[in-house]
Amino acid sequence: MSNLNIDAAKGNTYDVIVIGSGISGGWAAKEFTEKGFKTLVLERGRDVQHIKDYPTTNKFPYEFEHRGEPALAIKKENPIVSRCYAFKEDAMHFMVKDKEHPYVQEKPFDWIRGYQVGGKSLLWARQTQRWSDFDFEGPARDDFAVDWPIRYKDIAPWYSYVEKFAGISGNRDGLSELPDGEFLPGFPLNAAEDYFKDFIKNKYNNRHVISARCAHLSKPNQIHLDQGRAKCQNRTLCQRGCPFGGYFSSNASTLPWAAKTGKLTLKPDSVVESVIYDDAKGKVTGVRVVDANTKESTEYYARIVFVNAGALNTNLILLNSKSKRFPQGLGNDSGVLGKYVAFHNYSARITAEFDGLKQFATDGRNPAGGGYIPRFRNVYKQETNFKRGYAAGLYGSRYMERDRSAIGGKLKDNLLQGKLSPWIMGSHMMGETIPKESNFVNLSASEKDAWGIPLLNISVAYDENDALMKKDYIEQMTEMFTEAGFKNITPNISSQAPGLDIHEMGGARMGRDPKTSILNEWNQLHTCANVFVTDGACMTSTSTQNPSLTYMAFTARSVDFAVKAMNRGEI
Amino acid sequence: MERRLVIKQVLIMAGGLALLPSCLRDEGKSSIRLTNLEVSLDEENLLAEIAETIIPRTKTPGARELKLHLFILKMLDDCYEKTDQQAFINGLQEFKELTSEQYGKSFGKLSAHQRESTLSKLENNPSPDLSAFYKITKAKTIDGYLNSQYVMTKLIIYELVPGRYNGYFPVKTA
Repeated sequence: MSNLNIDAAKGNTYDVIVIGSGISGGWAAKEFTEKGFKTLVLERGRDVQHIKDYPTTNKFPYEFEHRGEPALAIKKENPIVSRCYAFKEDAMHFMVKDKEHPYVQEKPFDWIRGYQVGGKSLLWARQTQRWSDFDFEGPARDDFAVDWPIRYKDIAPWYSYVEKFAGISGNRDGLSELPDGEFLPGFPLNAAEDYFKDFIKNKYNNRHVISARCAHLSKPNQIHLDQGRAKCQNRTLCQRGCPFGGYFSSNASTLPWAAKTGKLTLKPDSVVESVIYDDAKGKVTGVRVVDANTKESTEYYARIVFVNAGALNTNLILLNSKSKRFPQGLGNDSGVLGKYVAFHNYSARITAEFDGLKQFATDGRNPAGGGYIPRFRNVYKQETNFKRGYAAGLYGSRYMERDRSAIGGKLKDNLLQGKLSPWIMGSHMMGETIPKESNFVNLSASEKDAWGIPLLNISVAYDENDALMKKDYIEQMTEMFTEAGFKNITPNISSQAPGLDIHEMGGARMGRDPKTSILNEWNQLHTCANVFVTDGACMTSTSTQNPSLTYMAFTARSVDFAVKAMNRGEI
Repeated sequence: MERRLVIKQVLIMAGGLALLPSCLRDEGKSSIRLTNLEVSLDEENLLAEIAETIIPRTKTPGARELKLHLFILKMLDDCYEKTDQQAFINGLQEFKELTSEQYGKSFGKLSAHQRESTLSKLENNPSPDLSAFYKITKAKTIDGYLNSQYVMTKLIIYELVPGRYNGYFPVKTA
């Protein structure tokens, strides 16, 4: 019997366990396997293989049962995920249905998830901007959260490292608030976007419109071709999974790369219940897994565990990993775990019409989506009645207006002929929110999920700072649009709950002091040296940038540190 | 394999979309399988006449040939609230009565001109149910048309793989 147990343990032992196969888990898998470590990646969802498991990728609009619109019964059964812009017939199979993994909303929170191999990296909006020191120094300067234990110089080389492999398109814009990277050619702005760019550059010295930087292969290098990926074909059907590998996802890039080393074991349908802490050894020895389908329990062992389950699920796993040493959850002596959760304020947008430049329209599609306005509020010093600021999207397009008023042959002619609209300009805000102790997640005391794991309570809300920032965004965009000569300026304030931005962050934040943070400057638990967190849970503050690129850089940097520490015998 | 082939042949193509046929024993019932709606074959044919009046065959196919009436029913059956479905069904009955009162015969037997004029009158605020019926019918006929395989491959070409982006595409300003 004991021999059998030893054999079972041997068969379930790896050098490294990575929990989660999304954007950061995929990077952890690539880095460890490339360096020769036998790596187990545990994914709670089903397997999704590149191309083969993208069932809708080559469908024409008329091949969808309801032309893309989810049936009413599906919407009614899934009020939460239905609010997500991507929940359409072409991609809803990549999104978690409300009943599959319930949670408790102490305050309204739309938790949008993708449980499958690749996670949300299949579905992400692919916008990739670096942070600068204006972001890393934010909490210290403006007196919130705790000081980041790192600065831009610490992560800059790792941004370069991940950008070269992932393939990021963009222009070298020379802005100190949005550092340049290792770019493939940027996707150019269109005539109306360029007009607005020039206009605000002349009018305001600190406001810029740049080509949105995104994880698309505008012009692949050898390293991308070696991954089996090809040039982006401007389909903008990315959420279906890309048969060209035109955008970066775990499925198209890091996971197949890791698999090629022969060192990767990928186990889908494996829900991690907890990380196992050995009180005698004073470290983590592995993880406890529940089979998503059979509910059977298994343990896997390793020297190091990387927790990349997605920000809130990483909190859930750590909180649920209780031991004699850590009765409040792994690494949680401080009681900070699960607290200081933040997100991005996406609750306002604005549209307008531009009557000029009618000699131009667009042809083809822009996978970058258009332009990006880096944060211009409170960058160098505090200058408004709210903390921090917002970045914004900026896009212009002309569409075919098709007059539907007549009937008969005339209607048919009108529909087929169409008439180009004026340029319709649009923008949406991406605001930094302030992490607070009162925005938290914890474990439900009474309710459990289908795998016997406590449900997550989520208690996260907007605050007064968010409201003031939203007001300023509307005012500033209205002013800029007005000055630029745009007409029919229409602000659109949404009452969307936090979460729908799909940029939830924090709960296991980085910091210098174990009393006020969970992770150190290497994304390593302060109090348990062989556990690392490099997904959104590690974020001390949110800044305004889309976060995924920073998770990738943190992951590669952290693996490098962990490997060196292992080689020194420290872990 | 063979079974799949048979199913494929039995599927009804509506604007490029495959729909399941209704049970063949149910004579007089709508030809496609509906979950929430009760529509007779006669009513389905009437809907085809109305859709064809909205988008008639010219040099190119019209609504009937593209089976847009089935698309209307499919969308109404799956994507609309019960109250809208009921209003549509009530409006459909009203519509039948209206044409027989006005012309003493059914819509299908009217001249093209009479059909157009009947529908044109519905553009201006008829009763709530009739309005719901007509608005849904017209909107879904147009949606189904613009998104049909025929239009997307022959008339307003939809490109699955554009492979390009030009933000300064020259167009006539007129």
